[in-house]
Amino acid sequence: MSHLLVLAMETARRPLHRRIPGENLKPIVLACLCAAVATGVAKVVSADKVRAGASEQQVLAHVNDPGRTFYFTRAMYTDWDRSQGGRGRFGRGSWATDWPKADIQFLIGLKHLTNIDAYEEDNPVQLDDPEIRRYPFIYALEVGYMNLTDSEVRGLREYLLAGGFLVIDDFWGPNEWFNFEQQILRVLPEYPIVDIPMDHAVLSAFYQIGEILQVPARMRGPAFGRPTWEDPRDTVPRLRGIFDEHGRMIVIINYNTDLGDAWEWAEDPWYPLDRANFAYQLGVNMILYAMTH
Amino acid sequence: MFEFFFKYRPVVFRQGDLVFQSPIPVWLLVLGGVIIAGVGVWGYARGRRNLERRPRIILGALRVSAIALLVFALTRPMLVIATIVPQQNFLGVLVDDSRSMGIADRDDRPRGAYINDYFGEDGSALLSALSDRFKLRFFRFSETMGRLGDVSELTFQGTRTDVASALDRARLELAAVPLAGLVVFTDGADNGDASLSEALLQLQADGVPVHTVGLGVDRFDKDIEISRVEAPRRVLQGSAVAVDLTIKQSGLGGRSVDLVVEDEGRIVKTQPVELPGGSEPTTVRVHFTVSEEGSRLFRFGIAPAEGEIVRENNVLETLIQVEDVQRDVLYFEGEPRWEVGFLRRAVADDENVRVAALVRAAENKFSRYGVTSPDELAAGFPDTREELFQYDGLILGSVEASFFTADQLRMISEFVEVRGGGLLTLGGRLSFAEGGYAGTPVADALPVVLDRRSGDSSRFFAEIEVRPTPFGLTHAAMQLAPSQEESQERWGELPALSTLNLIRDVKPGATTLLTARADGVSDPVVVLASQRYGRGKSISFVVQDAWFWQMHADIPLDDLTHETLWRQLLRWLVDGVPNPVSVVAGADRVSPDAPMTVTAEVTDSGFIQLNGAEVVATVTTPSGISQDVPLEWTVEKDGEYRGSYTPAEKGRHEIDVTARYDGAVVGTGEAHVEAGDLGAEFYGAEMQSDVLKSIAAETGGQFYTPETISTLPEDVSFTESGTSVFEERDLWDMPIIFVLLVAFMGAEWIYRRQRGLP
Repeated sequence: MSHLLVLAMETARRPLHRRIPGENLKPIVLACLCAAVATGVAKVVSADKVRAGASEQQVLAHVNDPGRTFYFTRAMYTDWDRSQGGRGRFGRGSWATDWPKADIQFLIGLKHLTNIDAYEEDNPVQLDDPEIRRYPFIYALEVGYMNLTDSEVRGLREYLLAGGFLVIDDFWGPNEWFNFEQQILRVLPEYPIVDIPMDHAVLSAFYQIGEILQVPARMRGPAFGRPTWEDPRDTVPRLRGIFDEHGRMIVIINYNTDLGDAWEWAEDPWYPLDRANFAYQLGVNMILYAMTH
Repeated sequence: MFEFFFKYRPVVFRQGDLVFQSPIPVWLLVLGGVIIAGVGVWGYARGRRNLERRPRIILGALRVSAIALLVFALTRPMLVIATIVPQQNFLGVLVDDSRSMGIADRDDRPRGAYINDYFGEDGSALLSALSDRFKLRFFRFSETMGRLGDVSELTFQGTRTDVASALDRARLELAAVPLAGLVVFTDGADNGDASLSEALLQLQADGVPVHTVGLGVDRFDKDIEISRVEAPRRVLQGSAVAVDLTIKQSGLGGRSVDLVVEDEGRIVKTQPVELPGGSEPTTVRVHFTVSEEGSRLFRFGIAPAEGEIVRENNVLETLIQVEDVQRDVLYFEGEPRWEVGFLRRAVADDENVRVAALVRAAENKFSRYGVTSPDELAAGFPDTREELFQYDGLILGSVEASFFTADQLRMISEFVEVRGGGLLTLGGRLSFAEGGYAGTPVADALPVVLDRRSGDSSRFFAEIEVRPTPFGLTHAAMQLAPSQEESQERWGELPALSTLNLIRDVKPGATTLLTARADGVSDPVVVLASQRYGRGKSISFVVQDAWFWQMHADIPLDDLTHETLWRQLLRWLVDGVPNPVSVVAGADRVSPDAPMTVTAEVTDSGFIQLNGAEVVATVTTPSGISQDVPLEWTVEKDGEYRGSYTPAEKGRHEIDVTARYDGAVVGTGEAHVEAGDLGAEFYGAEMQSDVLKSIAAETGGQFYTPETISTLPEDVSFTESGTSVFEERDLWDMPIIFVLLVAFMGAEWIYRRQRGLP
């Protein structure tokens, strides 16, 4: 059934979507996305509505299945708006962009694609909450608006040095880069940010990824007559990382790209399939790498 | 006193036979006695009706006793005893010439000084009394035995005391002459290899009594002795080692002393030890890390206390082969888990342990980490024994039993049982009973009991605070800090982990090292247990998130608990895993000129024992001389070969064993032996009176000390061994008989008077 859906989707979008030469689309990824369409979206949207107005305490209290292997954990951090007395960007903080639908939808894909015993729900945790140590993988996005408190800096630093792994996503252009760089320098001043070479293990941890694609936000890309980048001053997607003195990558940085939107809108027939596919592949690879290295 | 009342010394009664030589038949005397006694008793019973019952009984008993004693004397009892004919018999005198005879523990005089007193140039009453009765033949003995012309030939420098061999040799040398017995002057601190019971059996059969003269004291006033050391023969370089020492003391109970461990002269550990209170030895476990590669001599010592006479027994040495080799561990996970990354990271710096990880990331999709060649594990989990058995250790994570074929399950079991590898099973949602292992060959190898029914689909989850058992506290792999006390404290601070597997029991023979309390379970649950299984070992670590001891917010960033635990666990896992050819010397330290055995176990690449191999041990002495020693199949055990070698030099000997089968080398192995003065004479060096009494009792002889030795010449004379005559010695005139007779009659008379009877 899912393969028919895939075919239907591909047929429907073909005139609008230009395939990138050499891209390796995996049918299993597509099957996963279709599964998300068929079974997950209604639930995800419902959860999103419930949590949109939830307090932080209510958000933090909702993990109800301890003992699972993997929790897709989203870093709750302070942004500039909140640090200046506001409620946070868009009323709930830039950390919550795409949340929770992207998280839950990605987990559906992750569980279909791998053997990982993953908790099916989202799991946002504050950076200065000691409970974050239960989750060696955290995801943070929109870091162009990040403005960490001292407590969060300390919490994140110790988390990373203890063995945690941070994925950065969805920030664009020199200004946002500058902000992120300033923030991460507060956390890990001793380690430089470096480009990840294409032969790095993270690019072959599960899927063989031969090219770093730019994953656009929703409603962007050729189908909509808009570029996939968001800041004309720097349009190239980059995969960068921070490594400790043992050569272990502790932070992976997805700059000028938005994996989260692809996870969130993979079921959208207008979202470019190749980018969604890439976003899922890189997401799986990052998690496998974090768990095994 | 005994002799005053009984006329003769006890030995006469022991050696003699009681006979009655009355001219009147004994039965007639007894009958007469009974009649007379009966009349007397009747007189009291009937004739004195006014007497109460109790006085009647007492008076009757006294009269019966007096009459019985009189009848006994009239039967003319006597002892018939065999006595040697003077100067017609030989007496073997064996003198201990070992180093322990130099110990001055009695009246501040060396034990050997008593020998000079008895048999020195000036002579003595003892020598004179013995010479009057016997032809004396003197022998000296230590590790060897020989004739002794004069006591001045004694050096007291022998390195061993072999009483059994000495008795055997003396018996054989004097077999052709009438032998009245053997007298052994020794401290009894026997440390020879020969069987004492066999030697005594021969002497019993020949009717030769052995008299023993114990020199020295039963218990030193003050002494500390490290009497035994139990250490692994081989360990990986950098490993934490646990060594058990047996320590005993006298006169210093409860005192705290420092135990010092030296690695070829370099102090590697100083540990305070409280000496045991009583006379029983106590076992002390000491942990240290072996850092230098090669064959290393470790010395364990306690500084002598003031007033200790024997100081040589305060130290003990052992040889440990510290191997700088790489052991390979295969870690298989049926699903991606955090443990993979954290475990690999924890042991990444360990050059002696390589972890090759295989993770089933998706159905039929495997990821490999830490492999050394493109082919390693390329086809997933090994399908053949050769491929699996090339690893020294195997870690099974969360992977269901049904993933494996029946043959693979058997292979895993045989990996432990036959190959001698280490199997570590980790907790997880697909581990143990939850993974369907109950009833499989792997379950047989596990140290834990899988008691959950396979149909039980309820999910168990518990957060548990892991704590070591008393045994776990002392185990080398469980040491988280330099001292045991600090380690125990550290265990108490560690945050809770979680488990998905409920393990309540371990198998008989298995050992539990870690336990925990779990909500809803009355008894502590098993967290870490181990057992020997065939040639190898099996360990189960039931938690699913040991990585939390690295990540938890309460664990300081520079804390190495997680790394230490995994490093020690994996080293323990592969510790002692045999190679295709493994070599064991009979002892790690031997005396020069003492033969030792070399044993090799030979298998093929699939670890199947080979019986038809050509096995040669090449022994290289400290001076570089090599000698080939062929090892022969023992027949008793498949794949076992044995040979003997006698080191002629002092120092470290290297033994290299090569095994060939059909001309091709199947494997090599090595061992080391230190030849030198073992100082064995100073361990267990107190006078062993129990042993000496036992020797005497078994053969019909007697045990003496310098205080009682004056009676030895006469005692030795009473024997049937050699040329002897039988003597009759009257007993009727023993003073005790007259004393008792007077006492009975007098008591009866006084009692009657008190009662007013005539």
